[in-house]
Amino acid sequence: MAGFVNHPATSPNRPAERQDPRRRTLPAPAPLRPRPELVLAVIGSGALAVLALWWQDTPSVHGLGDWLTNAGRILGLLAGYGVVVLVALMARLPPLEQGIGADRLARWHAMGGRYVVGLVVSHALLITWGYAVTAHANVVRQAGTLLTSYPDVLMATVGAFLLSGVGLVSMRAARRRMRYETWYYLHFYVYLAIALAFSHQFAAGAEFVSSLPARTAWSALYLTVAALVLWYRVITVVRQALRHRLRVAGLRGEAPGVVSVYVGGARLHELRAEPGQFFRWRFLTRDLWWSSHPYSLSARPRPDLLRITVKDLGDHSGSLGRLRPGTRVIAEGPYGAFTARHRQPRRKVLLLAGGVGITPLRTMFETLPGEVTLVYRASSASDIVFREELDAIAADRGATVHYLIGARARLGRDPLSAQQLKTLVPGLHRRDVYLCGPAGMTDTAVAALRAAGLPRRRIHHESFEF
Amino acid sequence: MRRALLAIAGTAAGLVMLLSFKSHTAPGGGTATAGGPGPPPAGQGSSASPSPAGLNGAGSSGASGNGTVSPGTRVVTGNVANTAYGPVQVQLTLRQSKIIKVAILEQPTSTNEDIQIGNFAFPKLIRETLSVQSARIDMVSGASYTSKGYVQSLQSALDGGSA
Amino acid sequence: MPDRPRRDGPGQRRADPSRRAGPVRDDGRLRQAEHVMGTVFSFDVPADVGAEALPSVLRWLHWADATFSPYAADSDVSRLGRGEAALSECAAELAEVLGLCAEVRALSGGYFTTTPGGAFDPSGLVKGWAIERAAAMLRAAGSRNHSVNGGGDVQCAGEAGPRRPWRVGIAHPLRAGELATVVTGRDLAVATSGTAERGPHIVDPHTGRAATALASITLVGEHLTTVDAYATAAFAMGNAARDWIESLEGHEAFAITASGAVWQTEGFAAYAA
Repeated sequence: MAGFVNHPATSPNRPAERQDPRRRTLPAPAPLRPRPELVLAVIGSGALAVLALWWQDTPSVHGLGDWLTNAGRILGLLAGYGVVVLVALMARLPPLEQGIGADRLARWHAMGGRYVVGLVVSHALLITWGYAVTAHANVVRQAGTLLTSYPDVLMATVGAFLLSGVGLVSMRAARRRMRYETWYYLHFYVYLAIALAFSHQFAAGAEFVSSLPARTAWSALYLTVAALVLWYRVITVVRQALRHRLRVAGLRGEAPGVVSVYVGGARLHELRAEPGQFFRWRFLTRDLWWSSHPYSLSARPRPDLLRITVKDLGDHSGSLGRLRPGTRVIAEGPYGAFTARHRQPRRKVLLLAGGVGITPLRTMFETLPGEVTLVYRASSASDIVFREELDAIAADRGATVHYLIGARARLGRDPLSAQQLKTLVPGLHRRDVYLCGPAGMTDTAVAALRAAGLPRRRIHHESFEF
Repeated sequence: MRRALLAIAGTAAGLVMLLSFKSHTAPGGGTATAGGPGPPPAGQGSSASPSPAGLNGAGSSGASGNGTVSPGTRVVTGNVANTAYGPVQVQLTLRQSKIIKVAILEQPTSTNEDIQIGNFAFPKLIRETLSVQSARIDMVSGASYTSKGYVQSLQSALDGGSA
Repeated sequence: MPDRPRRDGPGQRRADPSRRAGPVRDDGRLRQAEHVMGTVFSFDVPADVGAEALPSVLRWLHWADATFSPYAADSDVSRLGRGEAALSECAAELAEVLGLCAEVRALSGGYFTTTPGGAFDPSGLVKGWAIERAAAMLRAAGSRNHSVNGGGDVQCAGEAGPRRPWRVGIAHPLRAGELATVVTGRDLAVATSGTAERGPHIVDPHTGRAATALASITLVGEHLTTVDAYATAAFAMGNAARDWIESLEGHEAFAITASGAVWQTEGFAAYAA
């Protein structure tokens, strides 16, 4: 195994030598990578269009019953739209994954999910109350009437309960108590909830009942997102798996509890993985086939070989150490916005790694052109991985590596303070900084970097916990 | 937590704004007499799709007529009923307690379907209001009539004078 | 919404006034009217069953008239009212009727009474009971689809025609010759209580004064005995009847107030045609 990636695969200062001639036959189309603000603006205008649908369909609103019912209608429309947006965020659309990043998408999805569940519940309550007031009926009886004699409302209510249930289960307090896989599979019930609730929108929704254009547009929206989900989460994955035929090529222990997995395949350059990106890996063994986990590439990708490095944190990550060579692997991706594409080429770079965050940064250290400094923070010497590789890369390209080892308590001071960093890294405030590590360490580091004069836009980091 | 409160407050404010805009629009023309909310949309608990407010006795106010009709004739205008599809308002002309004319002052017209349904349904309802025969009924229920009263009753018309 | 009925229907054929029994129509139904109980009973029955069973039904109605009429001096009701006869000496049906009256009186909080204005008179329940009995006799004779209208209170069974439920128009109390609404159903009982024909004759037993808030109230349900009695009680209650009827299972109401305004109970729309 030692022969595989122990040498710095390609020094960025000698690019032409090791270029795979096959690379030049596939010109990469300029990928679409929108800024987050643009995506939010698009989502917002969709919401405005939905509100406009209500607006043009409602001549006037008078009386308490009318107010309540129309408030319920607005919230219902927004919920129906919001649900589609949430699914789209998680559809693994390349522009979103590259432009916004998986961690931010997941945060948006979580916040949006809470809001949409609130919309759905409020919609149901307001409609029931509004109808009851208009019909001079008791609210409970009105609820019963709605459930039993309005078309598809019962199904929609079941869907609403499912959605709320998934929402409850996704709360941090609940997720901590259950295995990731359990939560992941429960989350799929959302698709069922959406399907159940769809028909009542057309059958009982005032804006849709009498307007074919509205129904057509709405259906087109849902169908488009469904098609995207199908394409990017299912079909593309299958196509990639068939085309590249990934298999475990070998394992190597890097440090106690840390193992590198080498995955071999064909035509891997077509994946166009960039340094800093990750894949979602599914190892097809009896125990592991049904879950996929994200791990960053820990070395420059070769056309026939990819490498990931995983620390044993319990359950899934631990079982990787027992993989047998030849095991089939499905890799979805590449994902991640944690790449160097936005940077100005002439700027110097600081890579700041904490613990297992060295993984994507090692790839960047190997490939980024220009002057690059790596600062690697770890609690103890045994936590350092890739030491020989990092030193070899540094020697090969004339770059600098600083190992900051030792628990803060032992050292008596925080080696990641602004003062320390300025001493270690010349011209710190003019660099582009790429930062990866546990949440506590990244928070400290960001604060220190800001104190040292770095603007936010030049501090790039990706969180593993999302 | 703060974000949640912001989201709730923002949504509520947005709703209030949107709804207030719409409540400044007058409920359509027509001589709406002083009145509270219109009658509840008919079919609210029974039918599959809510239908425009039933015209059975559209809430008549105790209105006096306007001065342009002939003496002995009364014009009664119902309250505006706000249905799911738009406002509905009916005006009846009576002579000696008999309805001689039904006019629809306000009907939902915001979509082509509203207009289409209205063109079909309202004339039908008007005809049925005015005529017993077109109601196609089998029996008439009313306050008890005596044998003498029977002869002039609707029921005897139905029985075909077989008594 | 129920299907709309076909365009054919009653009232299309002209009756031959010289015949006592009503004409048999193309659809095999017989229409007949009979003077009894001070009013006119109208029947709509299948021609075959009607020809056989109607005579005995009519005989029974005349017997009931003779037994229950408070206007006939020698009826059981009159004799019981004057104290001349004990309940055990009267027809067994009278005890049954009195039992029902007591139930309705309790249920209506005293608004239904067998002693309106002091004299003993169970007519508020008897008519509906007799009509329902007549309909039951027709069913026993083999008819599954028939309708009996006793002076404005209607008991229907089955349907008016193939796939066509019964349609009962409600006469408008303030506009002569017009209908206020139409109700429709299969096993349907409709009773209207009002002032149109006989003037304010229903008295609020709690105040002793004529009930004047409503022009008429129509109750719809399944069994005319209770429907008729409730209608009488409801009329005496006035606008308060709405909440009372809402609380009763299986009964709905439609009322026109003295000023011409209309209200109905929540489930009434299910009966509206």
